[in-house]
Amino acid sequence: MKQAIILAAGEGQRLRPFTVNRPKAMLDIAGKPILRFVVEALAESGIREICLVVGYQKEHVYDYMGSGEAFGVNIEYVTQATQLGTAHALLQARDVAADEFLVLPGDNLIAAATLADFVTAGPDAVLVKRVADPRRYGVVGVSGDEVSEIVEKPEEAGGNLVNTGIYAFNKDIFTFIGDVLDIPDALNAMIGGGRVIKAIETEATWLDAVYPWDIISLNSAVLGTIAARQGGTIESGVTIKGQVAIGEGTVIRPGTCIYGPAVIGAGCDIGPSVCILPATSIGDNVCIASFTEVRNSVIGGDVTIGPGGIIADSVIARGGRIEGRFTAASGRSEVLINGEGPSGNVGAIIGEDVSIQSGVSVRPGAIIGNGCQIQMSRVISGRLPDRSLVY
Amino acid sequence: MCGIVGYIGARKAPPVLLNCLGKLEYRGYDSCGIAVAAGDGLTVFKDAVRVHALVRALPEISGSTGIGHTRWATHGEPSKVNAHPHADCKGRIAIVHNGTITNFHQLRERLTRTGHTLLSQTDTEVLPHLIEEYYQGDFVKAVARALADIEGAYTMIAIMAGEDNLVAARKDSPLIIGVGDRENFIASDVPALLDYTGRVIYLEDDDLAVVSAGGVAITNQGEPVAREENKITWSVTDARKGGYEHFMLKEIHEQPRVIRDTLTGYIAAEEPAAELIGTADDRLEEIVILASGTSYHAALTGKYIIEGLDKIRVRTELASEFIYSGYAAAGSLGIVITQSGETLDALKAARRLREQGSRIIAITNVVGSTMSRLADKVIYTQAGPEISVAATKTFIAQLIALYWLAIPYARVDAGRLDDLVMELRSLPGKVQQVLDNEAAIAAEAPRLAGCENAFYVGRGINYPVALEGALKLKEISYIHAEGYSSGEMKHGPYALLGEDKPVVAVVAPDSTYQAVITSIKEIKARKSPVLALVPEGDETIADLADAVITVPATDPLFSPVVNTVALQLLAYYVAKERGCPVDFPRHLAKTLTVE
Repeated sequence: MKQAIILAAGEGQRLRPFTVNRPKAMLDIAGKPILRFVVEALAESGIREICLVVGYQKEHVYDYMGSGEAFGVNIEYVTQATQLGTAHALLQARDVAADEFLVLPGDNLIAAATLADFVTAGPDAVLVKRVADPRRYGVVGVSGDEVSEIVEKPEEAGGNLVNTGIYAFNKDIFTFIGDVLDIPDALNAMIGGGRVIKAIETEATWLDAVYPWDIISLNSAVLGTIAARQGGTIESGVTIKGQVAIGEGTVIRPGTCIYGPAVIGAGCDIGPSVCILPATSIGDNVCIASFTEVRNSVIGGDVTIGPGGIIADSVIARGGRIEGRFTAASGRSEVLINGEGPSGNVGAIIGEDVSIQSGVSVRPGAIIGNGCQIQMSRVISGRLPDRSLVY
Repeated sequence: MCGIVGYIGARKAPPVLLNCLGKLEYRGYDSCGIAVAAGDGLTVFKDAVRVHALVRALPEISGSTGIGHTRWATHGEPSKVNAHPHADCKGRIAIVHNGTITNFHQLRERLTRTGHTLLSQTDTEVLPHLIEEYYQGDFVKAVARALADIEGAYTMIAIMAGEDNLVAARKDSPLIIGVGDRENFIASDVPALLDYTGRVIYLEDDDLAVVSAGGVAITNQGEPVAREENKITWSVTDARKGGYEHFMLKEIHEQPRVIRDTLTGYIAAEEPAAELIGTADDRLEEIVILASGTSYHAALTGKYIIEGLDKIRVRTELASEFIYSGYAAAGSLGIVITQSGETLDALKAARRLREQGSRIIAITNVVGSTMSRLADKVIYTQAGPEISVAATKTFIAQLIALYWLAIPYARVDAGRLDDLVMELRSLPGKVQQVLDNEAAIAAEAPRLAGCENAFYVGRGINYPVALEGALKLKEISYIHAEGYSSGEMKHGPYALLGEDKPVVAVVAPDSTYQAVITSIKEIKARKSPVLALVPEGDETIADLADAVITVPATDPLFSPVVNTVALQLLAYYVAKERGCPVDFPRHLAKTLTVE
């Protein structure tokens, strides 16, 4: 197995506002996009020829992944103009597919260990994982080590082995796609036609973000595995404990405490006297002013946060400008999406390029859309649509 | 303006040479060719075609030593006979050359008198014949003697049948050696070699390098010299398109990262130029900024930035004009802006300025470039290699360098200074917002694509933006476009306005706002359609203009950054709509190492 086809064309509508300007595969977890985890897992597994199927906001994929050299792989791009389904996406890669290849979703987070047994299995095979609540997923019926059928999002789960969306195929798969739009339907057709599809189970990392608050739990899960690294300038009187990775050109000013696991990007200006608690990820070119505390949160690149803020269990997407005395405290969410809410406590969910004046508080679980502008001392709850102005 | 390459080692030379040449096409692409030595023979294969076409026509040529060339015509039209390499009478010596030999008429006459037959109209062809004339069993000596007869710029590589060396020389155009394992490479620029090696040696002017498979020996004026080896940290990714149809669009999209990288480098550094700018009590009288082309538009913007913030008088001069009659009082500060660091006019202008007693800060994108060695202080832009002939990311990086140079010496109160630094740091995010609005900008392209003439107007700090917007449009879409201060339109250009001459108006919410509105009304009264670039939140202009492109609001001082990026995208989509070869516009080449 030398080639992988990664499906990275999808939008991830339920992850809005974060996916309004970028595909789900390009959401940052622990300082890097989900897609990069997939590509690095493949490279580590010795698969370096990669075909990326892109579509929705594909420029973000191009800009980050380039031709793949930075990640030790060779990337070729094909485009899925409209996102009709996974099988339709795979079909776009027909002309560049090798005789045998892996197919992976670009927006599920995996590690090299996830693929350890799978890369040697050969076609046709599907990677499955045992989960506690299978109702969000495609449940895989297995007899022996063969797939008997795949049932999408069943009301009553017949088992708790779910489809990871990771497959090993040979070129025959294309003859089964036909008008079928999703890969599980093509698989069911193959099984109906008498083909044997192996089910291979993994116990390693396979994480999916469905709703915006899932980013927080994915982030803390992944941060547990990072290696410490100190770039930039750490000024005197800074306390760093645990696994902390700090990027090039970043300045950490006196009195700042960073308790890992935490990732801080390149070119940031943190402090003086800022408190960063586990498990926090901070992007590139972020400024955090004095006496602000950030805990268990994901802060995107180019964000500025003023002094005296409290940010817990929150996601702040890139480009925001947040003035002083900002409070995003954690608690039971008041916001549901499709009738579902986070299982634990959550803080604020904040989109790209917001402008928030001083003294603003955000109620637990509130979602602030991209480009919102909020005047001084407001209290925000519920869902603010993109580009709202709050006077 | 040309790209040259050389290879010596164990591989088959033709594919290596052609691969390297393909990566140098941004230096010129009207013809190309290779010369390969095997045993006692030398094969030259060349034509007036692009590299990929030469690859298709390539016959089987054996040999693992060779040279190659991609040409930008300076003497003689693009043709097969004028393409490099050029050979001597016996076809045993061949040369690839980048530069202009100024005394070639005399040399040609002399060589013809002594019985040589020169086939082409190029200046280069005198070189192999001179080497032939001087050859008495020692190839290297013959090359050195031949070069002594040459006046002008002669960066070149020579090959000779039966020799196990290539001889390379540098004068006025860049040349680097790529160090491999029992093989060595020579090229005009780093990206050409990155598929093979990341270890490079930059040659200096007047260096003569004898390159064999096993080693490199460099002399300067006959004396052996040591030149240190550099490790290239950027990867070959930078020289490939990564999904995009054109390098230009890829490079436009790199701009948020370029701004971030450029700023990160500066923020970690000491004050940019304290010793050059002087103290609060002992201020400079005048700064002279020299540049050409797009860099000149950065220079003009720099005038508004530095005069506005630092209250120091700034004069901008075209480098190509300054070299003849330019003058600056001794003790002035010169800022020379050149993307490549090799633009001949900029180098000459900088030398003239220095002779008059000025110190020089260079703003350049290329580490180790001639300009970087000539200046007292270098401020590097972190844009990476720019392949598209139309400059985009290097222009934006130059603006960032100018902001960074000006802000620490600003005569403004501390609160304003903090705001400026914050706003500067927010620019990557704002440029990303412009890019995320790409579809809306592309949708306006048809307004210009069907026209043969267009105007761009702006005022104040956005006047240079109008010039740059017009330059981008004309160079890649071939639409005749003129940039004007909107205040100057009434002094002539109004006579040209009409339904088929659209006007792109750059509007900023600064002291020029009302004046630009008045201009838009006057332009509309003369029937030209108006496409306006406005900051988000503006509700006045939409009622006046035929269409608007919205950009993120920012401090007016930084508005040239977001406005320029929007105009780059507009020019790109207009050129695409017209089916133009965006990355390789006709009659243009990138680094101009000729006058």
